[in-house]
Order: sequence, then structure tokens, then C-alpha cells
Amino acid sequence: MYALVVDLARWLTSGSQWTGPDGIGHRLAEHLQYSLLATLIAAAIGLPVGLLIGHTGRGAFLAINLASFGRALPTVGLVVLVFLAGGLSMLPVYVALVALAVPAIVTNTHAGMTAVDPDVKDAARGQGMRGHQVLFKVELPLALPLIMTGLRLALIQVVATATIAAYVSFGGLGRYVFDGLAQRDLVQVLGGAVLVAVVAIVLDVVLSTLQRVFALPHQRSGARRSAPTGTA
Amino acid sequence: MTIDWSWIGEHIGELASLTLSHLEAAMTAVLLGLVLSLPLAVLAHRVRPLRGFLLGASNVLFTIPSIAVFVLLLPVSGLTRTTTVIGLTVYTLVVLLRNTVEGLESVPARTKEAARAMGTRPLRTLLAVEFPLALPVIMAGVRIATVMSISLVSVATYIGDGGLGQLFTDGFQRDFPTPVIAGVVLTLLLAVVADAVLVAVEYALTPWRRSRA
Amino acid sequence: MNRRTLLGGLFAAASVPALAACSGGVTSLKGDASGSGGGGSSKGGVTIGTANFTENQVLGYLYAAALTAAGVRTTVRPNLGTREIVIPALRGGDIDLLPEYQGALLNYLDPKAVPTEQGAMQNALTLALPAGLQVLPYGLAEDSDAFVVTRATASRYGLSSLADLRKRNGKLVIGAAPEVKKRRVGAVGLREVYGVEFKEFKSLDSDGPLVKGALKKGDVDVANLFTTDTDIEANGWVVLSDPEHLIPSQHIVPLVADRKADDTLRKALARIGNLLTTADLTDLNRQVDKDKKDPEDVANAYARRKGILR
Repeated sequence: MYALVVDLARWLTSGSQWTGPDGIGHRLAEHLQYSLLATLIAAAIGLPVGLLIGHTGRGAFLAINLASFGRALPTVGLVVLVFLAGGLSMLPVYVALVALAVPAIVTNTHAGMTAVDPDVKDAARGQGMRGHQVLFKVELPLALPLIMTGLRLALIQVVATATIAAYVSFGGLGRYVFDGLAQRDLVQVLGGAVLVAVVAIVLDVVLSTLQRVFALPHQRSGARRSAPTGTA
Repeated sequence: MTIDWSWIGEHIGELASLTLSHLEAAMTAVLLGLVLSLPLAVLAHRVRPLRGFLLGASNVLFTIPSIAVFVLLLPVSGLTRTTTVIGLTVYTLVVLLRNTVEGLESVPARTKEAARAMGTRPLRTLLAVEFPLALPVIMAGVRIATVMSISLVSVATYIGDGGLGQLFTDGFQRDFPTPVIAGVVLTLLLAVVADAVLVAVEYALTPWRRSRA
Repeated sequence: MNRRTLLGGLFAAASVPALAACSGGVTSLKGDASGSGGGGSSKGGVTIGTANFTENQVLGYLYAAALTAAGVRTTVRPNLGTREIVIPALRGGDIDLLPEYQGALLNYLDPKAVPTEQGAMQNALTLALPAGLQVLPYGLAEDSDAFVVTRATASRYGLSSLADLRKRNGKLVIGAAPEVKKRRVGAVGLREVYGVEFKEFKSLDSDGPLVKGALKKGDVDVANLFTTDTDIEANGWVVLSDPEHLIPSQHIVPLVADRKADDTLRKALARIGNLLTTADLTDLNRQVDKDKKDPEDVANAYARRKGILR
């Protein structure tokens, strides 16, 4: 075990390991690019859907069930299917990652919206606010902690799963995991896994810090709770 | 992309056995996760300093790619079903631990005080009062863990197991969509059926909640 | 996530894979169930493992057909992974028998081995194998690694042999399965024997859709394929010649754990080895890859046609 830790430290710290097309620097950048873009696309789909069904109360049953159906989609199968249908590109990877992230975003956004006290919404309407004003000035700020929970959960899952890009010849940190498997080089696999975990944790800390900065005063304490894993 | 229906017709038996093998791996992992998470959750709930450590550790485990977990287990358990099950259990444990702790924390302090005031012993309070009241949250965790586990089994195809996941690597290597489509559809069906069964189990286990629904 | 739980979690999680990985070379803690010297027996059934490419699965099912005909109960575990993964599994007892390739196996066991002729290689294999494993006599069929370029690339840069690749040092991209990066019949040998340096090594798959797709699209200039792949001829791809004999002779050879090697098994596998020609194997591969037939069906049909199975 000691030897493995030493090997891992050597792997992570050797200068040559960090440069070139197969260097950690390049792989890290690729991994961040895949993960952030996929989560952004998923947010662009999931947030409006979650807000809309939460605001109107319509279509919730369908959307929530579709989302839990989506959770069951096997990522490997989805990647292979889109690859066979459309050929080699990043599309299969993005489709699979977005499909993974959307359910968490939709269900948590919806949960955040439904948790808003109806009396508060009534009071807002009573003050003459219109539908979209109630949505953006009252419901959205109050639902923000749970919405952020969904985004953080989605991002953690996407970062861990973006490893799959390497299966279909692309880069990212998954390259070390798949190459290490093929070469039975466990140090390389462990190095890849540790880097993925560090990326996920750092991004999660960044998001939770943002959440705290933008939270309403009474929500600040809530934002400090540790990362979610399967809430809502 | 067309589906070769005759392939499906000729492979009904194989599809059935892969589906069963898939289900077996996923369910074993959920059961093992449950067995491990219940005592850990009680520990985390009762011993405050351990709470942060256990939940933090499980959160970190959740960020490690499943394929890496399977590969890193090879020196321990080889190319076997055991590797698949241990790997999956890591992830079910994370979900189940968190939900069980949340479930135990959702039990009102007053209820526990009432039990204590009536002279109920701590273990009995746990089993007869706290767990039943935490059951809805625990069952929500079991449902998430089950669906997640069913979707993750296929990753073990990279170490020669993976139930229905074997259809994905096979279809990939031969540029043959039919087995892949069959694998995706069967995985989804498995998840939906397992989830429905769990809803029924929860309904049967919590008779006192029915009037409220 | 607050900082204290985060750190606590990091420590707890770090110790798990580390513990898992420290037991080293052997796949399974079950240990080496062999070591019995000459006294193996196939009576309890034989588990055949196969690597992650079409041909190896065809061969695995052919072995299964021959053994079944000889009354041995068999299980085939298809698609387990690369040689680097399946051989430790064979030593650890997860599987008992593997269809292997002389040269590649020898290079894996002893990267410094020099023999390239099939008879000498068989002896070298016997010397290099760890205790508990043995190779049986090699078969007629051969399948070698080939480094292939498109016809356009060959004529543009005047490439006909591996030595010619040096003219384009630092400019060409090679595509192959990830393990080929570390193998002698791969990036290592091309550098040492021919002095070839590539601009980039792209990790793809073993003679599968990724590497062939990348060669077609021009994403890679040189691809590592197998000589039994009909796609090479169908696409008019050029196999670069190997004047320095980097690529060894690659007759197909059964690699078996001593604990299962008895006369029944030896004779059954010798029978299939003596029947199956390179042309036969090429045709069986094509039936799986192009006609989308199951490797098991293809192997059984062949065994029936040749009178092995009834």
C-alpha cells in the first residue's frame, strides 16, 4: 500500500506527466470542458422545465416520472447507441451526460418551487405582482437553495461520468482510467480516479460558495450543508 | 438505425438470462448497502463527531468514477461477480447512508422523549419507533439506490461482467445496434418494474400512512 | 461541503482503493489454485476466457465446441479485456483456458525475447511462462499485428515499410488499442527497432470500429489492425512490411492452467488447431463482424461442418 501511495505521488508530481497531449494539464482541461458544457446544456433544459411545472403546477406528474425514468438510462448503452446512429463525434458523450444531469435538475427545481409557502405567493399577488414577477422575484429566490442542490448533484455525477468519453476515443481524465485498465496499470487508474474526485469536489465547493454569496440572508446557514447525494 | 427483430427472436433466452444476472447484481448491491448502511447510519445519528466523517467520506466515494472502482478492485476479487457487487455497493451505500441518517433525524424529538418517558429501552425505541417513522425517507433512498444500481451494472461490462451491459460492448464492437437497443430497453423496464415493486413494498410496510394519502 | 467533513472523507476514501491495489500481480486472493505439475484434469469443467476483440471470441467458442465434443463441460466468458487483464485472471483461477497468439504472448511474458520463428518461440514460451500455466501445441492458423495506412497516405509519403515511417517522424498520428502504447509490438518496438517517433498516440480499440473509423476519416495516419481482418483488403489499405522482423510469427496457441490440462483437453484442442486454417479464421471473423452472426453460432456451425460436433 505504501508503495502504491509513493507510485501515485510520483505519477501525480512528475513534470512530464503534466505536459503534452496526454499530460494531466490537457486532460484536466478536456474533462472540465466536457463536464461544464454538459451541465450547462442540462441546466438550460432542466431549469425552465422545473420552474414551469413548479410555477404552474401542471405536468408535474409526467415530468417527475420521466425524470426518474431518465435516471435508469444506462450511460454506456446510451453512448454506444448514439455512436452507432450518428458515427464518431462528441455527440454520444454529451447526449449521455445531459441525460444524466437533467433529471436531478428538474426534480430538485420542482421540489424547490413546491416548497415555497403558498401564503407568500398569495401575498405577492395581493401586492399586485404579475405571474412572471411572482416567479422571478418571489418563487425563484426562495427555491434557490434546492435548485442549487440539484445543480451540484448533477455536476458531481457528470464529472464522474465524463470518464466515458475515453471509451469512444476522446480525452478527459477517463483516458487514464481506460488506458490504465487496458495496460493493467493501476497507478494510472488510481491517478485518474483521484483527479476526477478532486475536480468534482473543487467544483462542488465553488458552487456551494456561490450559493452562499447569492443566498438570501435567512438562507445562509442552509447553504452550508454538505453536498447532496440523492435528495428529492 | 433499424432493429433486427429476428435477432431478438433468436436471443430471447440469452436476453432473459442477462436480465436476471443484471437484476441479481443490482439487488445484491442494494441489500448489502442496506445491511451496511443501517448500523452506520445509527452510528452517524448517535455519535455527532462521526456524522460529518461518515457522510463526508460517502460523498467523496460518490465522486469516484465507477469504472475506476471496478478496475481498482481487480487485485482483490479478480474478474468475478464479487467485483461487480462490491463496486456497486459503494454507490448504494452512499445513497442509503445519507437517506437513513436524514430519516432518523426527521423523527420528532418529542416522539423519542415520549418513548423514553414510557420506559422504552433505547434499542427498542430505535427498532419500534425511530426506524418505522424514518421508513418513508429510507425507502426513498432504497428506490434511488435501486434505480441507480440497475443503471450502473452495465459499467461492469468493461471487466467482463455487467449483465445487460454485455450487449452494449458486443453491439459496439460489431457495429450492430439491435443488441444495444434491447439492452437499453430491458434496463429501463427492469428499473421501472423494480421501482413499482418497491412502492408496493413501502405501501405494505407503512399501513399507518394510508389514511393520510 | 464543509472543510472538516471534506478532509475526513478524503482520508477515509483514499485508504479503500489503496488497500485494494496493494496485493499486486495476482488477480484474485483465491491465489494460485494450480501448481500441480502434470496432474491436471478437465473433468470438473473448463472456463474459457476471451479477450476484447471478435476473433478471440470466435476462437474461444471454437475451443468450447471441440471440448464439448470431447465430453468436457465448458463455460465461455466473452470479452473480458486485454491480455494484461486476462492472463492475471487465468493465474488467479477466474478462468482456465485462453486462445492466445505465440509472438504477442511471448512479448508479454518476456519483452526481451528474441525468437521470431514459430518452433523456437514455442520453446521460449515454455521457458517464460510462470508456474501453473502451459502452452499447448500451436495451430495452423496465424494472425499477426499489422500496421496499416490508407493507399492515399502510402503514396503521398512513399510508405511501404515500417522503416519508411521514420521519414515522417513527429508528423504522423498512430491509432491503436491503449495497451499497444506500452507493448513492444507497438509504439515501443517501432521506436527501438525502426527509430519511429509519432506525433501522437491515439488510444482506440483492438481492430474495432474506433480504429478503423479513425483511419477512414483520416484522424489517424497509421492504424494497428490484425492480418485476419477482411476490411484491410476491402478498403485497399496498405500493410507496411516489416524488414527487421519486429512482428513475430503469431500462430494461435492455447494457453491453459496446469490444473485443467489433461489428455482429453490436449487432444481436443490439437484437433481444432490442426483443422482451422488462417483462411477459415478470416472467414469466421467476417461472418461475425459483417453478417452480425453470433461468434458462438459461427464457431458451432464450423465445428459441425468439419465433423467435430454432431
